[in-house]
Amino acid sequence: MTRRFSRTLVVNDGDGGAVAHVCCGTCDHPLAANGTPWKPGAKLVASPVTGLGGDRWIAGERVVLRQFVCPNCGALLDTETALPEDPFLNDVLTR
Amino acid sequence: MIDPITFQIIRHRLYRVVEEAVITLKNVSGSAITNEGHDLMVSLYRPDGTLLMGGVGFLHHLTSAAEACKSVQRRFDGKIYEGDVYLLNDPYTAALHTSDIYLIAPIHHAGQLVAWSACFVHVYDIGAMSPGGFSPDSVDIYTEGFSSPGIKLVERGEMRDDVLDTFLNMVRSPEMVALDISSMIACNNVARERMLAMIDKYGFETVDAACAELIDQSERLLRERLRELPDGAWESRQYISVKDEVFKVVLKMTKQDDELVFDFTGSSPQAPYAINCTYWASLGGLFAPLFPLLCYDITWNEGVIRPIKMIVPDDSIVNCTRPAPISVATVGAIQSVNSAACLTIGKMLDASEKYKEEATAVWHANHFAIFMFGQNQHNREAIGILTEVFAGSGGARTFADGVDLGGEIPNPISRMANVETMEAGFPLRYLFRRRFTDSGGPGEFRGGTGMEFCIVPHDAPQGGMHYVVSGKGTDFPMSDGLSGGYPGAPCKYIWVRNNDADASDRNLDYAFAQTIDDMPGEQESVSWGVYPLLGEDALFVQWDGGGGYGDPLQRIPGAVLADVSAGTVTEAIADRVFGVILDSDKQAVDQGATETRRQEIRSQRLMDAAE
Repeated sequence: MTRRFSRTLVVNDGDGGAVAHVCCGTCDHPLAANGTPWKPGAKLVASPVTGLGGDRWIAGERVVLRQFVCPNCGALLDTETALPEDPFLNDVLTR
Repeated sequence: MIDPITFQIIRHRLYRVVEEAVITLKNVSGSAITNEGHDLMVSLYRPDGTLLMGGVGFLHHLTSAAEACKSVQRRFDGKIYEGDVYLLNDPYTAALHTSDIYLIAPIHHAGQLVAWSACFVHVYDIGAMSPGGFSPDSVDIYTEGFSSPGIKLVERGEMRDDVLDTFLNMVRSPEMVALDISSMIACNNVARERMLAMIDKYGFETVDAACAELIDQSERLLRERLRELPDGAWESRQYISVKDEVFKVVLKMTKQDDELVFDFTGSSPQAPYAINCTYWASLGGLFAPLFPLLCYDITWNEGVIRPIKMIVPDDSIVNCTRPAPISVATVGAIQSVNSAACLTIGKMLDASEKYKEEATAVWHANHFAIFMFGQNQHNREAIGILTEVFAGSGGARTFADGVDLGGEIPNPISRMANVETMEAGFPLRYLFRRRFTDSGGPGEFRGGTGMEFCIVPHDAPQGGMHYVVSGKGTDFPMSDGLSGGYPGAPCKYIWVRNNDADASDRNLDYAFAQTIDDMPGEQESVSWGVYPLLGEDALFVQWDGGGGYGDPLQRIPGAVLADVSAGTVTEAIADRVFGVILDSDKQAVDQGATETRRQEIRSQRLMDAAE
């Protein structure tokens, strides 16, 4: 059974007691066991915010937009604004 | 047991009580921040001070004013009389910052305390070191103007002139502040009269039973809703930069069964700048998005508060200790609490098939304050906010774009004044005021755009005015996207120093410039402090759009074409971020080239990814 995690992610409940996984909503590629952070299972593109959304996007030098990408199909799964030293924002479903 | 029809009638009468009181407040106040920007709030409270009927306006005041009612009861125990009005604006007692004054009035029926009404406006001035109340250079609460943990302003229907005169003696433009006070007294009077009319009609016992049931109903409905939502934990983070220092509001929201916990552990220690907020302000900050996003069909009262818990570290930016400066809190840490909570609630809703359409990316997270002050064209001292900030920008939803200049989550009725209204009150001329292209966060659904505008002095007896700016969002985009959406654009606050420009570089046409690059002066970023707008100076402001929702490559190409045609997105961003290629005359989408371009971007993402 597949459940919604977000617009871009789903939870695939394993058949016959198998472990449920957070998966890419586009291609079903598994990223992490459900209930654990999924972002380490994605590809990370960290781009400077400056210039990212237009010529008039000017931000601090160290400020990046983290883009978490499906390693299989290249779909963009989530984003977060961050300084390089800050941890990922982790979201988990427990039920 | 109250019959259901009477219950519903009383419930709607309570709404009307608040609405009529809000109308009174707007009509009596003479301040643009109140009657144009709608920086106000009116609510009703139970005899013990708990929230009964939260009104519209800035929602982060609903719970703080409840604490204000309780605090007044503790302080004046045994001395609260029919016809009294109490003033409270101390942030360390209950209020959000000193400028937002609460006027709290008990409502008695047959000699018995039956309810409280409370309202606030951001008063014209509070006597802080900077005119208008936001004091970016303040170092402690003692430099932020008049502050009272509770004082009786009206006793048994009689104004205490000694108290009022003492207060007015400490503020600039006392005649305008007095009008603000009058507006709040009138507001509370209307609330009392309408409440008493309802009690006279239905009887106190019936109304009291309906009010108690209304609170229980809200708790029941919210807990039912929470049980329908998935359990989990969601995180968000907001950055605030001031003078090259960075402060963070960090949130982990955990939902289990029918309870929600907002844990701000990890947020920055309290700042030396006035962006801090107190415990009650943080609580209000998280409820501001919670009321409209989770309780859009549930009455906003104490019942909604019961399933919610908040954890805030001591001595932190979200729970500061007296005498930390706090005057910029409402556009500082409070709004960041608000935006952080908006995102975690949005993520939780987005995880639900049933409630996903209630989810939203973050709206207008860089609410700022620019107060003009000085002599106006009518030779009067004038203080007032540039109300543009209240125009906000809507975050993208799961089914639609955010609304351009669509307001803000914590205030459902915020709006900006007409240019003509601003120019009538201040010696200013607007060179332009328009949507800010490429400011909405890209996504499958785009964030609504923010705005850009530029003002110059005009017909100013003293050559112009000065302004106090408390701005954020220049280093960090703050309106976060959801589910792969980008954030809205970063902000700018630019002083164009045309007075210092070489005369030979001056071009008379720049009096009608349509961009600041048409002007000869150097451009200086001015996000924090007091600055001049004199002679040929110009002030330019741009602010973020709302966050986007979903992968921009999933956006319908025709919607991108419409954005480019409308001027909300440039062709370059259509190509680079949305992967949409237009034909040579920009009248249609080149479908084949678009499909190829989008595949290129997906492949590029994988190549750019860190291992």
